[in-house]
Amino acid sequence: MDLTRVLQIIFTGLIIGGIYALIAVGLNLIYGTMRLLNIAHGELIMVGAYVTYWLYMLYGVSPLLSMVLVVGLSAIIGLLVCFFIFLPIIRSSKSITVLESNSLLVFFGLSFIFTNVASLLWTADIRGYSYMTRVIHIAGVPLMYNRLLALGVALFVCLACYFLLQKTMLGKAIRALIQDREASQLVGINANFIYLISFCAAFGMAGLAGCLLSMFYEITPFMGLPYTIIAFIVIVLGGLGNILGSLLGGFLLGLLETIGVSVTSPGLRPILSYSVFILIILIRPKGIFGRGVY
Amino acid sequence: MKNKTAIVFLSFIVAVGFVCLPMSQASAKDAITMGFSISLTGMYAAQAAGQMDAYQLWEETVNNRGGIHVKKYGKKLPVKLVYYDDKSQAETAVRVYEKLITEDKVDVVLSPATTGIHFAVAPMAEKYKVPIVGSTAASVKLRDIKTEYFWFITACVPDRQMEALVDLLKHLKIKNIAIIYAQELFPRENLQFLDPYVKEAGFNVLLRKDYPMGAKDLTTLLSEVKAKNPEAVIALCYVPGSFTMTTQAQEVGLNPKLFFQLIGPAAVPFGPKFGPAAEGLTTMGHWSPKGKWPGARDFHDSYVAKFNKKPDYLNSTLAYASCQIVEQTIEKVGSLDWKKMRDYIAAHEFQTINGPMKFSGTENTRTPSMILQWQKGELEIIWPESTATAKPLYPKPAWP
Repeated sequence: MDLTRVLQIIFTGLIIGGIYALIAVGLNLIYGTMRLLNIAHGELIMVGAYVTYWLYMLYGVSPLLSMVLVVGLSAIIGLLVCFFIFLPIIRSSKSITVLESNSLLVFFGLSFIFTNVASLLWTADIRGYSYMTRVIHIAGVPLMYNRLLALGVALFVCLACYFLLQKTMLGKAIRALIQDREASQLVGINANFIYLISFCAAFGMAGLAGCLLSMFYEITPFMGLPYTIIAFIVIVLGGLGNILGSLLGGFLLGLLETIGVSVTSPGLRPILSYSVFILIILIRPKGIFGRGVY
Repeated sequence: MKNKTAIVFLSFIVAVGFVCLPMSQASAKDAITMGFSISLTGMYAAQAAGQMDAYQLWEETVNNRGGIHVKKYGKKLPVKLVYYDDKSQAETAVRVYEKLITEDKVDVVLSPATTGIHFAVAPMAEKYKVPIVGSTAASVKLRDIKTEYFWFITACVPDRQMEALVDLLKHLKIKNIAIIYAQELFPRENLQFLDPYVKEAGFNVLLRKDYPMGAKDLTTLLSEVKAKNPEAVIALCYVPGSFTMTTQAQEVGLNPKLFFQLIGPAAVPFGPKFGPAAEGLTTMGHWSPKGKWPGARDFHDSYVAKFNKKPDYLNSTLAYASCQIVEQTIEKVGSLDWKKMRDYIAAHEFQTINGPMKFSGTENTRTPSMILQWQKGELEIIWPESTATAKPLYPKPAWP
């Protein structure tokens, strides 16, 4: 295997991993702060993809600009969903177990509603557009601009998210809440505010991922579910509630898949991902990086 | 708390239920009710969309003519579609047909979407002795269905389709090929017939590899193909795989002289998405608006006018043609008697937008398998020469 091929595999792994990380960090943010497992996470990706698609097709809005619009829109959806559905549920739930099971059902329902509304509004037709499809060679490896862009944006957002959590007051408050809900409220952290912020950020990131994915994959109302599943694998891999863990976990899974596939057969990809998933649950149930708050 | 959970859950079930509920209700008099199950949601929804549109276009076209003349009633009766979403689930589709036949008591039934659901529904034809003219189903195993009440019309049957493809390759004097295929039912069935034809033709198979359904990255596979430098790449894929490989073949610079993709290039969004990059790609299919068949161009134009998009050259055409067979049968038989309809369908030739069709057993053997190719923004039939609308564009031009 020559060097170009190796580099290509690594690049591909990073691109896929970047998207995985972007999706998983959002999912983990909601889980970490609120103990809510967002099964509808992938559906926001779908919404983001459709919004980008329609803006581009109908009004010629550049997907680069759409990134900003989509993040804003998804964040607003997150805000509304959190405020009108989840804050009331959190208030009325007497224990974490009840909260987890209730929210699971609600997210399940939301996921159905999102997909079905999307297929009613836009039909189930597969859609797609071409944008930034020029090919550039980096160290001899051919790459399309749009995928390079996806890697760049995903990396930037994940790192920004990490530094936000590490360095700012808001980030510290979020981490405190992840660590201990009651104690953090005792020291004056406004939990509801943090919940809203987490929802906005998580939905925004999912929407952004959708926007990026729409540039190179096909768009359907049902495109979200596989990504939700991947995000679950990643957060289990990186540790539930561990944001940095999801970031690294995303890249790790992306690389693992690409390398695994290229040395064996593409047919083994799902087996690889799920084997990792099961292995982690058996050997390190708290994830490679543990459940701590880093 | 249990209560609360239950309430939340139930309310969502209800909400979801509303979305998925039947879209229309059966009404009785002065119309021919045509019942069918269709995948409006679920994994086959994208494929079923073109079929649903074709049914609606046919309903509108027939009703604009005043309906179908039924001798028994001495007048033209308008057509009314009655349908339910099967959520892409075969067992739901079976229940839908039970309901259509026993509760709604529809006059005629039309076919559902996709091969798997056709298989599930075919026994209904035998059970209720109701004729079902299949549409969007393609499998050699459809020939084995033991009923006198079910037929299928596509010419994309894997054995005949792969034979046509290999004939084209021989005609183009291609020697070195690479085969990549999705680990899925239909691609695998095609592969099973492709292999012996390839062996018989004496081609060199430089690479033969699979990839899973839903694979989002094929760059490593495609660069492996590129390294072997085959003249022809035969990709046995579905629509998502086709989209992914068309994008990523450009990325890795794989540009064989002939690039065949089983399913995808004929899908409606393919042309708009890839534009000039589609030029020269080949795929399976046996229809083009340029085909010399009565009504082909009209169907294309009225479809575009109604839905503001092109019809699916496979699914929409097949669905529409299956309706035409039912229509011509009712007119000739002069009643809605299922037994008489069955006898007529089994024995006669029909004129459709896809040319003449006639059944031997369950299969329409009158329509030959063909190969389509993108040329100047239009899908042309390039093989066989008897039905071709254009000459093959060979070698495929470079990516734009």
